[in-house]
Amino acid sequence: MSAPVRIMFVDDEERILRSLALQFRRHYEVLTESDPLRALQRLREERVDVLVSDQRMPQMSGAQLLAEARAIAPNTLRILLTGYSDLDAAVEALNNGGIFRYLTKPWDQQEMAFTLRQAAELAVRQAQPLQVVASEKLSAPLTLLSLDDEPDTLGVVGEFCVAGGHNLLRARNLAEAMLMLNNESVDLLVSDLKLAGEDTAPLLKTLAQAHPRLLSLVVTPFQDTQALLRLVNEAQIFRYLPKPVRRGLFEKGLKAAAEQALIWRAQPQQVVSRLADVPRDEREQERVGSLMGMLGRLRERLIA
Amino acid sequence: MSHARALQSLMRAVKPLSASMSISEVADLFLAAEHRAFLSLPVVDEHNRPLGLVSRATLQDIFMQRFGRDLRGRHPVGEVMNVAPLIVSLEASLEEASKQVTAQLQYPITEDFILINAQGDYCGLGTVLDLLKAMEARVAQRNRVLHQALVDLKESQAQLLQSEKMASLGQMVAGVAHELNTPLGYVKNNVQLLRELSEPLFELAAAQARLGQCLNDPGCDEASLSQALQAAEQARQQAAPELLAEDLQQLYGDTLYGLEQIAELVIGLKDFARLDRAMSEEVDLNDCIRSALLIARNHIKDKAEVVQQLGELPRIACAPSQINQVLLNLLTNAAQAIDGMGRIQIRSWADTQGIYISLQDNGRGMPPEVMAKIFDPFFTTKPVGQGTGLGLSISYKIVQDHGGQIRVASEPGRGTRFLVSLPSPANVAMKRSA
Repeated sequence: MSAPVRIMFVDDEERILRSLALQFRRHYEVLTESDPLRALQRLREERVDVLVSDQRMPQMSGAQLLAEARAIAPNTLRILLTGYSDLDAAVEALNNGGIFRYLTKPWDQQEMAFTLRQAAELAVRQAQPLQVVASEKLSAPLTLLSLDDEPDTLGVVGEFCVAGGHNLLRARNLAEAMLMLNNESVDLLVSDLKLAGEDTAPLLKTLAQAHPRLLSLVVTPFQDTQALLRLVNEAQIFRYLPKPVRRGLFEKGLKAAAEQALIWRAQPQQVVSRLADVPRDEREQERVGSLMGMLGRLRERLIA
Repeated sequence: MSHARALQSLMRAVKPLSASMSISEVADLFLAAEHRAFLSLPVVDEHNRPLGLVSRATLQDIFMQRFGRDLRGRHPVGEVMNVAPLIVSLEASLEEASKQVTAQLQYPITEDFILINAQGDYCGLGTVLDLLKAMEARVAQRNRVLHQALVDLKESQAQLLQSEKMASLGQMVAGVAHELNTPLGYVKNNVQLLRELSEPLFELAAAQARLGQCLNDPGCDEASLSQALQAAEQARQQAAPELLAEDLQQLYGDTLYGLEQIAELVIGLKDFARLDRAMSEEVDLNDCIRSALLIARNHIKDKAEVVQQLGELPRIACAPSQINQVLLNLLTNAAQAIDGMGRIQIRSWADTQGIYISLQDNGRGMPPEVMAKIFDPFFTTKPVGQGTGLGLSISYKIVQDHGGQIRVASEPGRGTRFLVSLPSPANVAMKRSA
């Protein structure tokens, strides 16, 4: 039996901490902190596998805490647990905090237990440090697939590909996208949530399962916290960028995604990179099921 | 075009006279039915250019003199005409014409005015009375348009007020709904934990009941008795009531606390809205402050520490929901003015003159040019879509309607202080009796 999984909860409401500690103390080694600064301090000194943080706290926001935690302990899985549906906070938590899940208060006991079990499993599997990738290897050519017709987005992606010597594919609709995904080995996906009138979220969710090492950047004019929450949990997207695109931010996201893709490429196959939830919505579940079938060639290639 | 047509419609076609016609002839013409409406008749030259106006009054003056008609009746009318008559171009607008006519008009009014075309040819006569009537009609129409504009304006103002109210209400409801999620979160979880944790207790009770049964039953043999004893002991170890007691105590305590929090928020929301109550209510403004603080807590808690110094206040008649709206507005503004973690100080006190509430933040503050405009409707420093720019102007109006005033002092980099003062009840009573 290896060392027990250590989960730290951070919340300015002590009663939340007591309740969670009581719920999980039998399964994990539970740590609680009501002060985010102390939580960061402990993160520097102790091993923490999973960090669950509230969003609104007097000293600093949860998104901020998770972003700093990422710098201190990149291998710790980060989860946001909040009673506020605040789009800006969610975007910040994803883009800067690289969160694994976005959970809402009041939480469902089963669901929370399931999420923590997933996180713990992932933490155990990631326990061995990742292969260090030499910096010269961090600039190999990649393949990008763009599911966005907008000239602004395409412009930035195009320039990025030319500068980095990456291969850029463009799909004008979902059918084309499926064809390309089956035939080409795609590393990065840049997608709006609508492509030629079709909803791309089910594809993003399917790919999270079929192709865990693919990184998706969502670029969209939509401002829907609930949709973002599901994209985090069910598609494990890498970045969520609002339209109209801000060039600097977008370029930074692309660069980070490329780097991450190369780091993953260097790891042995069994190192899991992302683990998404099954879509909550039943119709979406069916859609993901059928898309999964259509991506058979992609899956075969990945297993081989 | 329409202007030209306006004068055209006033024009009356009158056959002009020549300057050589005799005064007697002209006097007869004045008696003709078609000329009854005119004070004067036009005189033109052979090219139809106006030369002057002969007024009825002038001829009457002549004829009233003794032998006037005999002496001057045969003289040409050119001798007695006004050679500098009012001449108005048909091209002129109604307003221009009336300006020209009233500027040159003499009392008593003895003449009409000549209307000419662009070439300066005589066209007809216009009367001052017609001009006045036309002007009156025009003014009446303008008034109707203005009145409609006023009605529209009032309606849209009412709509704006309503939308500002809905915006702040919506913000408040969303805030409180979110605020509820924290206690709901642990209360729900605790109740589920209580159910799980209490299960072994029921099993212990059942095992002990079986043991009791065995003890009371003479037929129970040694083996079953020791088995029952063992089972009861096992259940007791499983349940560990002495360890459980502490957890249960904590869970029950937290759960009750959470439920009280939820109740407090719900009551706070109800108190805050008080939409059903009228102006006349006697209110302790400190209650309003507490209520607004409760509602604004979630906006403030990660922005500022709130320091309260609330003095004893006499109850006053006011509309508490409106005062709450003012306080919430000032509180959220204060929180938004703070970068990072700051401090908001709320004080209340009263003297013989009035009741005072001071709200001070140590946020960004405002330069004088911004401060000069903060109570103006639609003035906002917030990004588009984040503020209606009506919050403070509505607050100002509410306080004004209560007979009080809002004052502000601010310094960039140091913070802002708002002072709301309302007349004290004694003061109001004195004014009323005076």
